[in-house]
Amino acid sequence: MSTFFQLVIEGLTIGSFYSLVALGYTMVYGIIRLINFAHGDLFMVGAFIGWTVLTTLAATHVPWGLGLLAALVIAMLLTAVLGVAIEKVAYEPLLRSSRLSILITALGVSLALENGVLLIYGPGFNTYPHLLTQAGFSIGGVEINDAQIGMMLLSFLLMLGLYIFVHHTFVGTAMRALAVDQDAARLMGIDVENVIRLTFLLGALLAAAAGVMEGVYYTQINFFMGFLLGLRAFTAAVLGGIGNIPGAMAGGLLIGLLEAFGAGYISSRWTDVFVFAVLIIVLAVKPTGLFGERVVERM
Amino acid sequence: MRHSRFTIRAGIIALTALLFGPFMAAPGSAAGDAIKIGVPVPLSGSYANAGIDILNGAKLAAERINASGGINGQKIEIVPEDDACDAQTAVQAAQKLIDEGVVAAAGGYCSSASLPELTTFHRANIPFALDASTNPQLTEMGYDNVVRTIGRDDEQGPFAANFIANALHAKTAAVIHDNTTYAKGLADNTVSALKTSGVRVVYDNAVTPGQADYTPTLTRVAGLNPDVIYYTGYFSEAGVLVKEARQLHMKGTFMGGDATNDPTLIKTAGSAANGMIITTSPLAQFISGAHGFVQQYEKAYGHAPGPYSVYEYDAVGVMAQAIRNAKSTKSDKIIAALHQIKNYHGLTGEIGFNAKGDRTKPAYITIIVKNEQFVPYQQLNAAGKWVVAK
Amino acid sequence: MTNIAATRRGVPYAIAAASILAVVVLPFVSSSYVIDVATTIITFAVLGLGLNIVVGYAGLLDLGYAAFFAIGAYTTALLETLGHQPFWVTLPFSILFAAISGIIIGYPTLRLRSDYLAIVTLGFGEITRIVATNLGITGGPNGIYGIASPTFFGHALASPRAVYELGLGFLAVVLVFTSRLTRTRLGRAWISIREDETAAEAIGIPTLKVKMLAYVMGAVVGGFGGSFFAARFGAIDPTSFTYLQSVTILIIVVLGGMGSTPGVMLGAAIVAGLPEALRFLQLWREFVFAIGLVVLMLVRPQGMWPAPLRRRVTLPPLAAEDESLVPIAVEPGTSDVLLEVDGLSRNFGGVRAVNGVRFGIRRGEILSIIGPNGAGKTTVFNCLTGVIRPTSGRISWLGSSIVGLAPHRVVGLGLSRTFQGVRLFANMTVYENVLVGMEPRYRTSIPAAVLGLHAASEEDRRHLLSCRRLLRFVGLEERAGERAGDLPYGDQRRLEIARALASEPRLLLLDEPAAGMNPTEKRDLMGLIRRIRDGGITVVLIEHDMMLVMGVSDRIIVMDHGEVIAEGTPAEVQRNDRVIDAYLGDDEQETDGELRQEELSAWDS
Repeated sequence: MSTFFQLVIEGLTIGSFYSLVALGYTMVYGIIRLINFAHGDLFMVGAFIGWTVLTTLAATHVPWGLGLLAALVIAMLLTAVLGVAIEKVAYEPLLRSSRLSILITALGVSLALENGVLLIYGPGFNTYPHLLTQAGFSIGGVEINDAQIGMMLLSFLLMLGLYIFVHHTFVGTAMRALAVDQDAARLMGIDVENVIRLTFLLGALLAAAAGVMEGVYYTQINFFMGFLLGLRAFTAAVLGGIGNIPGAMAGGLLIGLLEAFGAGYISSRWTDVFVFAVLIIVLAVKPTGLFGERVVERM
Repeated sequence: MRHSRFTIRAGIIALTALLFGPFMAAPGSAAGDAIKIGVPVPLSGSYANAGIDILNGAKLAAERINASGGINGQKIEIVPEDDACDAQTAVQAAQKLIDEGVVAAAGGYCSSASLPELTTFHRANIPFALDASTNPQLTEMGYDNVVRTIGRDDEQGPFAANFIANALHAKTAAVIHDNTTYAKGLADNTVSALKTSGVRVVYDNAVTPGQADYTPTLTRVAGLNPDVIYYTGYFSEAGVLVKEARQLHMKGTFMGGDATNDPTLIKTAGSAANGMIITTSPLAQFISGAHGFVQQYEKAYGHAPGPYSVYEYDAVGVMAQAIRNAKSTKSDKIIAALHQIKNYHGLTGEIGFNAKGDRTKPAYITIIVKNEQFVPYQQLNAAGKWVVAK
Repeated sequence: MTNIAATRRGVPYAIAAASILAVVVLPFVSSSYVIDVATTIITFAVLGLGLNIVVGYAGLLDLGYAAFFAIGAYTTALLETLGHQPFWVTLPFSILFAAISGIIIGYPTLRLRSDYLAIVTLGFGEITRIVATNLGITGGPNGIYGIASPTFFGHALASPRAVYELGLGFLAVVLVFTSRLTRTRLGRAWISIREDETAAEAIGIPTLKVKMLAYVMGAVVGGFGGSFFAARFGAIDPTSFTYLQSVTILIIVVLGGMGSTPGVMLGAAIVAGLPEALRFLQLWREFVFAIGLVVLMLVRPQGMWPAPLRRRVTLPPLAAEDESLVPIAVEPGTSDVLLEVDGLSRNFGGVRAVNGVRFGIRRGEILSIIGPNGAGKTTVFNCLTGVIRPTSGRISWLGSSIVGLAPHRVVGLGLSRTFQGVRLFANMTVYENVLVGMEPRYRTSIPAAVLGLHAASEEDRRHLLSCRRLLRFVGLEERAGERAGDLPYGDQRRLEIARALASEPRLLLLDEPAAGMNPTEKRDLMGLIRRIRDGGITVVLIEHDMMLVMGVSDRIIVMDHGEVIAEGTPAEVQRNDRVIDAYLGDDEQETDGELRQEELSAWDS
């Protein structure tokens, strides 16, 4: 039984990273029906910016808590700027074209970000300073790390913030209106282009936060780290019902749990098969994902 | 309108032609003086670091050979080509080297790329010395043009099993790999050797490389309580694994195969890496005769050599020796000379090859992480006993 | 002979001839390295042409195409190494297994919307790769070694040049196969579901079957390419069949131009060749390639060589005086009532959009259904044509129930419809739109069409003839080669009617055909509706324009709040008090909007 709860804790830790990144996929999809393949790489860029800030500050005598906060904030801001810039340069001119051409552009941007970071930081691995305490506690044989709790709490707060923003602010309402009907929203006087940019900005903020958290928690970062995580987060977004914000959060946690149970109870080498099989079964039964609503398709 | 669209199309075609122009150009260099040795390694993508380290080893070898007068009066020239660790790219890299007029090749990193390279070189009858590809299959194809300066996975596996059974006196072991050709091969060979040594293998499975969190797998392994956990994959995952194993308060000895032998492991895991033991071919840093090489390398490239740099250095060296002995750059003669080599004095020790092309006396040692540093640990002496390594 | 828009015929042929010449001459003038690169380009061109069926024609996003490639490669490898079969014997098995896997992945998932389908295909691709990595028989991560080179009349095809020529052979086969396939009615059906899946189903395309065929045909080509891959390298391992490989093939199709054969080949040349040409950049090359990809897509969003419209068609000649529809053979002695509706109800959530509606449609009449917005008229149409299932009630067509039939089956029985908003296949030509509508009438099989058997080409000719007759009937004969989306609005409306008539229906349902028309167009429309009826086709229309309704109808049904409130001749209906109330009384706008929203979403299910 303690193994079960241990796996639950581990699954939720893994899943909270997926959730944060899945939100970016789902928001962008909800608004412009684009699977933004470059999103996982924004997570990676965030991790690298955070690393640069942290290691630069480590040379000075800034207390590490402050350094961490600075790394988080600067990474989020710069990555958000990058996210919006990508939208402006690479996606906006194609918003009226075929959906697949913008998809391929996103793939190109993804490849460019990965290789851009590779050129700047090199193809190897960079490591964050070991900041977090290894301390933890044990309840009935279940090992829980203090840092684990902190990470989950932080990601929960970020998601809560997003939820409140989307549901209880004017701009958030505009975003949701846009997701339902872009033309109607435009007629209502909503500045569609700006709201789209805002969506990219929010997604990038969360991805960068997840990136820095990943670096701090797992210490090892690499230009390719966004690929696998992006794929999983995308899967999570679809499982939850792509375009649906609570769906992405739940989907991320669920994929984390499935992965933990797959490795813990079935066989680690079959874990991905297990995760995808569950996804396919869910979609066969509920074609729009767990929380998905019917969305009018525009090709 | 229509006209302009056609113009654009014509433009595209012209552009394409322009782009392809450079490599459509007729091959075959103006036969200069230099003897060309091809080095196919990954120079882009995830494994580029490893490829660059290998290439640097080759360049140093060429410098030394040329400084001492070259081969029979001719200089040698290193021709690198990127294989991206991908089968299709590898064939093209090998073919490009052949077209560029190399008389021999020395290099390779990923076994999955080395194999198509070997096949391509075999068809062109060009000798190929492998420095890092440890997959047994490479020398089991029946090709006569291949040798390697490094041991095979089925040699390291029994070595690791011997260490686990007789030096650590473990009763149970968990073996984890990452489902790549190399790691699976090493894991399989270790598992079968462990079984014959009487160690019970309680876990034998693969993880997906590239993840940040392996705690579910480790939780499963922790429940089995093995004396030793042997990870046969690469250093980056090994760093994460050893760190997370410590977080879960796992008690067993954590061990890694030769691909975990990289400073990144220690940077990732920090103090959690202390006490981890790695089975490996000796690093240049631990070979008494190679200190000069390490210094020279650091001076030239600003960082320590990679784990395979010195094996590539020897691969180029042994190939040069074969060309020297053959007194010819004809491939048949080089290949014949290569198989004649019995005791070439390489930095990694005496080098000779058996009929298949495998190194006759591959050396292995174990190293341990102490105070976040790799230090030599134990090795087998001539009598087959475990002794402290120097 | 009307030769429609035969512009610039010569140019593509000249380019094709030049390319063929270059491709044939290549091995004689270039090095083994260039030949090897060319062979890789050929491999990707084969895969691109296969995926082009799925993505370019049918418009289904597939992120796991490498799975079929893997299945073909592993089939050949295993049959050669374990089964000791020669290469050529393994080929049909590769194709067969790839096709079966296409069915396995397609069958349970094709009902999904495109983006959900994308992740399922991605999952399928990953599952295939992981299974190959984990199983013993496939050699695990080592893969399979020692696959013998194919032989051709005793010659081993092992040298780069021989392999290149073998690849050319494969490419030629795939080119012929895909171009024949896409020129048949199946090709048109694929494009129609890419353009508008709902409309395609509603005019008689069995969309599930057609999508499934796209999957299977794509899979077949992928498996075929996989066999070549195995033969070329003599060794395969799972790292050649990753998600990134699937993505690369997708890039080839979209970058080249979806649905465009020369485009896909150009795409393959760029994606496989450009990184080779950029070798000198070393670490920079992938970055430069990525930037190049983004720039190319920005400059040419439709791809490097977009698929042209198929303007080139020679419609068979028609006698000058032939302006009639082919009259429908009316079975003598059958009942006078074509369609009977009884107790028809449909709820959306808590709202009862249609409530216990009962009416009949008589053979040869023009019947109008009128009523305020939200009265449930379109919902009735949707129930009749199988687009939505009624909550309760009976619909019988010539005495047998049609409740629960898929829309395309209903069309097959002789009920055809148009839409409230125009839903043409905008990127197809006018005549192709009509030809797509003829799908339910085809009798010869698709293999017969691919092989160009006499019966199939004879049928094609007949349908082209009938297409021309229909276009003349609605007055669009001169515009046959134009892009449907470029027609003026009134012409689009008429084309939609021609497309609905193409299935030779007995009953034509028109949903607000006069919306947005000017008075002249409306008068023409009235004439057209009468001529359709005179051709033997019963017409039912939903319309708000009272001038048209009163002028053309034999009988009128008035609906309000989901119920039939009046029925009778135009004169009778105009005098009815409830009708006057319904039109002048307080109109509940809120429920109105809600209903429309619900109905919209039902359309997209």
